[in-house]
Amino acid sequence: MKGKTMSIDKLSSINIAEANKPRKNNALLIVLILGGIFFFFSLSQLPIDYSKLIEGSAKFLSTLTVMLPPDMTYWREVLLAALESLQVAIVGTVIAIILGLLLSFPAAENLTPHPSIAWGIKGFASFLRAIPTLIWALIFIVAVGMGPFTGILAITVGATGMLIKVFSQSIEEIDEGVIEAMKATGASWTSIVIHGVIPTVLTAFLAWCILRLEGDIAESTILGAVGAGGIGWELMHAMRLYKFDQAFFVALVIFAMVFSVELVTNRLKMRLKTK
Amino acid sequence: MNAVDVQKARKIKKLQTWLIVLGIVVITIWSGIETDFSFESLIFGSREAATFVFTDLLPPDFTVITGLIKPALDTIYMSFVAMVIGAVIAAFLSVFTAATTSPHPALQVFMRAYSSLFRNIPVLIWTILLTASFGLGALVGTLSLIMVSVGVLTRAFAEVLEEIDEGQVEAIRATGANYFKVLAQGVLPQFSPGFFGWSLYMLEINVRASTIIGMVGGGGLGFVIQSNIKLFQYGQVSMAIILVLVIVLLTEWLTNQIRERII
Amino acid sequence: MTLLQINNLSKTYPDGTSALKGINLSIEKGEFVAVIGPSGAGKSTLLRSINRLVDPTNGEILFNNHNMVTVKSSQLRKQRRNMAMIFQGYNLIERTSVLNNVLHGRLGYMNTFSTLLSVFSGKDKEAARQLLQRVGLESQMYKRADELSGGQKQRVGIARAIMQEPELILADEPIASLDPLSSELIMNHLYTICKEEEIACLCNLHQVDVAKKYATRIIGINGGQKVFDGSPAELTEDIIAEIYQSSKKVLVS
Repeated sequence: MKGKTMSIDKLSSINIAEANKPRKNNALLIVLILGGIFFFFSLSQLPIDYSKLIEGSAKFLSTLTVMLPPDMTYWREVLLAALESLQVAIVGTVIAIILGLLLSFPAAENLTPHPSIAWGIKGFASFLRAIPTLIWALIFIVAVGMGPFTGILAITVGATGMLIKVFSQSIEEIDEGVIEAMKATGASWTSIVIHGVIPTVLTAFLAWCILRLEGDIAESTILGAVGAGGIGWELMHAMRLYKFDQAFFVALVIFAMVFSVELVTNRLKMRLKTK
Repeated sequence: MNAVDVQKARKIKKLQTWLIVLGIVVITIWSGIETDFSFESLIFGSREAATFVFTDLLPPDFTVITGLIKPALDTIYMSFVAMVIGAVIAAFLSVFTAATTSPHPALQVFMRAYSSLFRNIPVLIWTILLTASFGLGALVGTLSLIMVSVGVLTRAFAEVLEEIDEGQVEAIRATGANYFKVLAQGVLPQFSPGFFGWSLYMLEINVRASTIIGMVGGGGLGFVIQSNIKLFQYGQVSMAIILVLVIVLLTEWLTNQIRERII
Repeated sequence: MTLLQINNLSKTYPDGTSALKGINLSIEKGEFVAVIGPSGAGKSTLLRSINRLVDPTNGEILFNNHNMVTVKSSQLRKQRRNMAMIFQGYNLIERTSVLNNVLHGRLGYMNTFSTLLSVFSGKDKEAARQLLQRVGLESQMYKRADELSGGQKQRVGIARAIMQEPELILADEPIASLDPLSSELIMNHLYTICKEEEIACLCNLHQVDVAKKYATRIIGINGGQKVFDGSPAELTEDIIAEIYQSSKKVLVS
C-alpha cells in the first residue's frame, strides 16, 4: 500500500492510471508477443546467408585497413560535389516551404473553405510523402534527365508533402476561441490568417522548416547515387572503381556535412525554444 | 527600461530579423543559380514529369504483381528485423549514453559521438559501403538498417532516460526495494512509452528506407524498381511503386493504431 | 429605429439538443443590458447567434435592419465589424504585442491589399494607443499579450472591441475568469466606455448582483427561453430563484 505521505492529487491520478493499466497492459502484451513471433518469422524468411555474415565481417575488417588512411587526392571535386548537394537541398526545401505555406492553410480543418478541400490536399500530401524521395528522383531522371536540377525536383516533392501535413497539424492545434475572436471583428479570411494564425504558429513552423532542411540535406547526399547530382555520385564512383580509400574520404565528408548540420540545427532549436 | 529603450530594442530586433531573411534569400538564389535552376526548367520539368507519369507509368502492369510479392515481403521483414535488433542494442547502449546513467563522463561523450556517427550517415551510404564486404542482397540491406537504427535509437533512448523523473525512482527506492525492483517499477514504466514510441517511429523510417536500398544493392523492392527502369519496363516500375505506397501507408496506419493502444 | 431586433430565434443542434426556443428580444441604441440565467441555459448561444458564430435554425435577427441569419459573406463581415465581442477567455493573439491585438479591431475595415502588407495606418495606431491609455495599459503597449495577467488581458479585449467603433458590444461572461477586484475594474471600464461612446451592450453574467449594479435592463434566460425582461428593480429574490430554480428541478429528477 502506498504511504500516507502522498498528496491527494497524486493518489487520485495514480488511481486513474491504475484503472487504465489493465487495458493498456493487455494490449502491450499482445503486441509484444505478436511482435516477437513476427520477428523470428521474418528472420527465417529473409534470404540471409549466415556464413556470408561471418565471412563479410572478416572482409569488412580487412576492407577497413584498405580504407584507412582516407585518400584525399580528389578533395576539390568531392567538396564541390558536397556543396552541390547542399545547394540542391536548400533550393528544394525553400520551394517546398513556399508551396507548403500556400497549401497548408486551406488544408487545415479549422480554416478551410470546405472540408473536402482539406481532405483532398491532405490526401495529395500523403501520396507525395509516402513515395520515397529516391523513387521520385528516378521518375524525374527518366522524365527530365540527370543532374542537380532533377535532385531539386525530387526533394521538393517529398518535402512539400511532409510540410503540408505538419503545418496543417500546427494550425489545427490553435485555440478555436482565438479564430472566433478574429471572425467576430469582421476580419476577412486573409486577415485572420496573416494576423491571427501566422503569429501563433510561427515558432512551430520554423522548427518544422529546420527539421525538414536537415532531412533534405541528408537525402540529397544520397540522390547522387542514382544520378541526380551531388556527392552521392562521387561515392558510387569510388566504390565502383574499388578505390576504398577514396570512398572512405567521401563518406567522411558526407558524415561531416550531416553532422555539422545537426549541430547547427540543435543550436537553432534551442534558441527557438527560449523565444 | 524606459519607452525609448524599448523602442530601440524593438528596432534592433526587427533589423536582425530582416537581415536573416535577406541572408536566406541570397543563399537560396545563389544555390539556385549554381544548380541551373530556373522557372522555365521548373515548368518544363513538371510537364515532362507529368507526361511521363501519365503515358509511361500508367497504367501499371498488374500481371507482374505475383513476382513482386517476394521482394515486397523482404522489404517488410528487413525493416522489422532491423528495428527489433536495433532497439535491443540501442536500449543497452543508451544506458552508457545518457548523462544521468553513464558510469563515466568520458564514456558518455564517446557514446554520443559513436551514435552520431551511425545516425548521421544516411542508410544508402551505409549500404554502398557495406556491399564491398557483404555482397549484394538482403544481408547488406538489413545490416545497413541496423546501423542507422542503433544510431538513432541510442540517442533517442538516452534522451528518454535523461528525462526520467528522479522523484518517482526515489519513491520506489524509499520503500526498500532492491535494484531490480527499482528498475522494473521506477525506471521501466517511465521508459517504455518513449521506447515504444521511438521504435515505432524507427520502423516507419526503416520501411521507407528499405524500399529503396535495393537500388544500391540492398535487396527488396528497390532493386526491382531500379532494374526495371534500366529495362524501360515502366509498367512494372509503377506496379512496384504502388506496392511501395501500400507498404508505407499500411505501416503508418499500423503504427498509429499500436501507438494509440499502448502509449 | 431599434438597434437589434430578435424574432422567434431558435437553435437546435444536430444531436437534438434545443439550445434556444423562440427568443424574442429588442435592444435600443446605448442600452446596457445584462443577461442572466443558469449554465447551459442558452445565454452564450444567444450571443453567438447574433454575430453568427453559431448558425440559428429558425427566426430572424435584425441588426440595423440587416437580417444576420440570412446575410451573405461580405455583408456578414460588414455587420460583424459593427458589433464587437468580448470573451470569457479573452482570446487574444498571445504571441503578438498588446498594441497589435488592439489594432485587430480595425481589420474588418481594411481592404485585402493593406492586410497583405500588414500595415496599419498611423491614425489607427494613435487611436489604439489612446484606447489603451483609457483602460490604463499604455505602458504595456509593446509587451507580448501572454505576459499580461487575466485582468489586463480583458482590458485589451475591451480596447480591441472599442477599436471597431461598434454600435453593439456582445460580452460573453467577461468577468467569469477574474477575481473580484479585477471584475469590478473590468465592469467599470466596460460600463463607462459604453456610456461615453453610446454603445449598446449585451452582457452575459452569472453574478446577479453585478448585473443589478450596472444594467438598466435585465433579461433572464432559462432552458432556451426568455423568462424575464425588465428593470433591475423588478428583479425580486423570488424571480431570481425562479430563473435559476427550474434547472435545480432537472438536477434532482
